[in-house]
Parts: sequence; C-alpha cells; structure tokens
Amino acid sequence: MVRVFMLFFALSLVTDAIASDSETTYKFYCAQCHGVNGDGTGPNVTADFATDPRNFTKKEDMAKLSDADIRSVILDGGPALSKSALMPPWSKTLTSEEVDGLVQVLRGFCNCQGAP
Amino acid sequence: MRYWQVGLSLAMALWCTSALPDVASGKAAFEGQGCTGCHYTEGPAREKTIEDQLAKAGPELWYAGSKFNRPWLEAWLTDPKPIRLLKYNSLDEKNAGGHPTLVGADATAVTDFLMSLTTDAVTAGVIKPKSHPKGKLIFKKKMPCSGCHQYEDRKKVSGGLSGPSLVGAGARLNPDWIYAYLSNPTVFKPVRMMPVFAGLMSPKDMEFVSAYVASFKGE
Repeated sequence: MVRVFMLFFALSLVTDAIASDSETTYKFYCAQCHGVNGDGTGPNVTADFATDPRNFTKKEDMAKLSDADIRSVILDGGPALSKSALMPPWSKTLTSEEVDGLVQVLRGFCNCQGAP
Repeated sequence: MRYWQVGLSLAMALWCTSALPDVASGKAAFEGQGCTGCHYTEGPAREKTIEDQLAKAGPELWYAGSKFNRPWLEAWLTDPKPIRLLKYNSLDEKNAGGHPTLVGADATAVTDFLMSLTTDAVTAGVIKPKSHPKGKLIFKKKMPCSGCHQYEDRKKVSGGLSGPSLVGAGARLNPDWIYAYLSNPTVFKPVRMMPVFAGLMSPKDMEFVSAYVASFKGE
C-alpha cells in the first residue's frame, strides 16, 4: 500500500514538473500574441494587428479543434489551417514533447476536450 | 632628413596612433561603467534554457562587432533611445528608457571595444540593402515578422512590440548579420522568443528579407 502511494506521489511530481515546464514554454513563446491568460490579448496585438489571435479560453471554438489540429498549427503555422501567417511555424523551434505540453496548456485554458 | 620632414613624420605617426581603435581602454570603460552587469561579451552563447534567457537583464554583446554598424553604435551610446518597446524579457512592462549614457572618449573607446567583438558566423559581403518587392512580401505577408517587430512603411509605423523595433534597422544592423541571424540563429541565441526559420525558408528568401530589413530607414 505504501509503495502504491509512493508511486502515485512520484508520478504526480513528474506530471506537475511537465505542466510547469509547459506553462513556461507557453509564456515564453505564445503569450507574446495569445496573452499570458490565453485570451488572445498579448502585447503584439496592437490596433493594426492584421488578425485576432486565437482566444484559447473560448470553449465553443476550442472544442471544434482536435488536438491534431492544434499540433498542426503550432508546428506549421496559421496557414496549416487556412489561418493567418502571423501565427508562425514552430516546427524548427519546439520539440514534439514541448508541442504536446502546449496542447495540454491550451486545453487547460478552455477546460475542454478537442473534437475527435 | 630635413626638420620639416621629421616634423611631418612625427605628426603623421601621432595622427595614425590616435586613430587606432582603443580596445583595451574601451574594455576598461565598459567594465568600469558597470555594463557587464547586464551584458556579457565573451562567446559562445551561454543560454541553454528559457530560464537562462529570462535571467539576463540585457542582450549579449559577444558578437556586437558583427551585428552593429559602427556609426550607429557610437551615436547610440551617447544618446541611447529604446530599441525595444517593452522592457527586456518582459511582456507587460514598457521600456522606460534610461540606458546609461556614455560621453566623449568613453563612447568612442567602448565602441572600439564592442566593434572588436566579431564572429566567424557572419560572412561579410553577402547582403546588400535593397527594398525588394519579394523581401517586402515575405516580411509583411508570407512570414510573421511584422507580428513582433515594428517597422516603417510609407511613413507609417506598425507591427508588434515583443521583438526589437526594426524602424531604422538599416542604420543599426549589419546586413550580413541579419542574414546570419536568420539562417543560423542558435549560434547567436540558442533560446529566443523568435521562431527558427532555418529549414522553413529558402536561403534565397532569407537573402531577400535580410536585404529588405537592411533597407529600413528612419530614426
């Protein structure tokens, strides 16, 4: 019983560490346009910004996207889903694990599951 | 040898010596003014993690001589105006300015020192500044450059705030450094908020956009 508890405790520490890393990754790369709180109001979104960065807190919009859609846009940029080229391609910057972590951060903002 | 010839030789020797870069004095002035508190000047790049980058108070300068144009650098040190609209490494604090100012011989000597800090990662003579339509198309439409960098087009300033302003970048930046920074970014900044475009843009497109950025005039 103690061993099972210790195992869950260790796993929860690992999960927390990954989540913390992913939040740091989000704040460093994504928040400049999407905002620290994921609501699409980062400092780059000035009056003449040519598009509205995705508001990750909008549950109804985010629920329409699959996790694969989100991965695709992060890796290949907005044009991957016929969206603005102002969303950069991050495939040469982020690792696959970092992208997975970002998908989880975004799902945390909308508190929603993706489309299948 | 006649007296006037000796005198002329001495005067020329003095003039040549006074025109030589004073790197050692510049380094001493750089350290004496406390610049090392925010800038490191010995390469290669040290940052390995996001935390490493966020711990820095100012940009690294170990390749300053390959990055900046000397006249701009010396003038900027005597009258430093913000290059970034936001405080370094911040997304919510405006850059209030207040960078220390150097005067007279210190400004020249520190410029000498910084311009001596070069890197082989920048190949000279590749990029010539040119406001090419292809470069403009890439900068404004095809790639997200304008999302993070301010720039001036037809006397209108627009663009994002998180990256350094590119208004007047032609005076500030060595065109060949712009190309090197695009094509081989991790040498300069292993961890940065700007995406890596190497492998996503063709070398030719990088040349076009580098030449376009190098053509930016303005203050």
